[in-house]
Amino acid sequence: MIRDIVISVIQFIVLVFFQVFILDNIALWGFVNPMIYVWFIILLPYGSARWLTLVVSFLIGICVDIFSGDIGINAFACVFIGFIRPFLLNAFSGNIDNVMQRPSITTQGFVNFLAFTTSIVFVHHLICFLVGTFSTAELLQILIRTIVSSLVTIVFIILLDMIFYRQKA
Amino acid sequence: MNDLLRFLRRYYHVFLFLLLEGICVYFISCNSYRQGSYITSIANNVSGSVNGFFDNVTSYFYLRSTNEALVQENVRLRKMVESSYVKIVNNVHKEEDTVYKQMYSFIDARVIYKTVNKRNNFFMLNKGSISGIEPDMGVISPNGVVGVVIKTTPNFSLVMSVLHQDSKLNVRNERTKTTGTLLWNGKNYATGQIIDMPSSLAVKKGDNIVTSGFSRNFPEGISIGKIKSFKKDKGTGFYEIDIKFSTDYNKLEYVYVIKNYFKIEQDRLMQGIDTTNTQKQEGLQ
Repeated sequence: MIRDIVISVIQFIVLVFFQVFILDNIALWGFVNPMIYVWFIILLPYGSARWLTLVVSFLIGICVDIFSGDIGINAFACVFIGFIRPFLLNAFSGNIDNVMQRPSITTQGFVNFLAFTTSIVFVHHLICFLVGTFSTAELLQILIRTIVSSLVTIVFIILLDMIFYRQKA
Repeated sequence: MNDLLRFLRRYYHVFLFLLLEGICVYFISCNSYRQGSYITSIANNVSGSVNGFFDNVTSYFYLRSTNEALVQENVRLRKMVESSYVKIVNNVHKEEDTVYKQMYSFIDARVIYKTVNKRNNFFMLNKGSISGIEPDMGVISPNGVVGVVIKTTPNFSLVMSVLHQDSKLNVRNERTKTTGTLLWNGKNYATGQIIDMPSSLAVKKGDNIVTSGFSRNFPEGISIGKIKSFKKDKGTGFYEIDIKFSTDYNKLEYVYVIKNYFKIEQDRLMQGIDTTNTQKQEGLQ
């Protein structure tokens, strides 16, 4: 239990710093904005209480926001995916034998994990860009941004998952 | 009463969800750029110190390009100083009673946080109100215009980049003297868009675009970029122009914040007009 909390806290700090100081400075073709800190919300254990998921999502969103000048946008998107996460987990969970396990390829299977990650990342990015731009005139551009950035984020998350959660099978 | 409690316990996560989203919406609505809000200024202070620490590390990677930009600027300035001009005395009437009064001064600052890949981009500078920086001041780099200060704390300030959907800057074509408005469509951080430039005077590819001096934040003639491509809108008689920014916003390191000594006076003069305009607009809506 305590070990899980410590792991989560470390993930929280590392992902926020990675996001703010490395990823926010990447400018691939000028509009790719991967947000890999979402991995933190994906990685919460299966048995996390709903209120805890919501509060923790809110906190990581606010932390990323504080560094980027626009407060509230990432937090808004994070709270939303924190809310829909339990439903998606129900839909895409494999056979879980321990509620403290974290969603990954080894526990869920590749297809389920990919579907779960894709839906969370896509919804998060879409909300982020929609709220951040707040104009209907640029809908097509928002969609392109969302799709390309989501793809980069998903690839990153799958790679990180393979590196960190593979050997614990 | 029991039913109510059961109901609350069953759906508490929905209420918590709505509460947290409400807080987020409140934060977002506090982000209006004109008035400084308490929350954002606290956040600004916290992130400012952390960003400053990290920038100490990352700034080394940009030393070379920073130096090049500064050298280029020195060359340009050296060309302007009095010693590089020869005084040619003509026997014509000599006017010696010109009085110069300083209008602009510059505060140097370093960029400690920046983004270019979002739709709305910001910079954070390592100086704030203690150093005399105030909201609404213009910010330029050795190569050209960067943005406008929107918020300050004692030690840091937040700059709305030209790469922002609310950024509108009055610009001028250096050759034809026609003016237009600079916007950014969010697609490429190296390219900006100019609208409202009348097509009565033909523009050319490669024309220099500079600040017009109509905005009270920037002196006249500060470089912005060069025309990359243009299209004539037949319906309106205005050009739609793409320009290449002269500043690489991704490599920005040192900037100057512009203090306009006459701003208060100019603002006071414009005050009556601005308010009547907004009143008219409000009446229309």
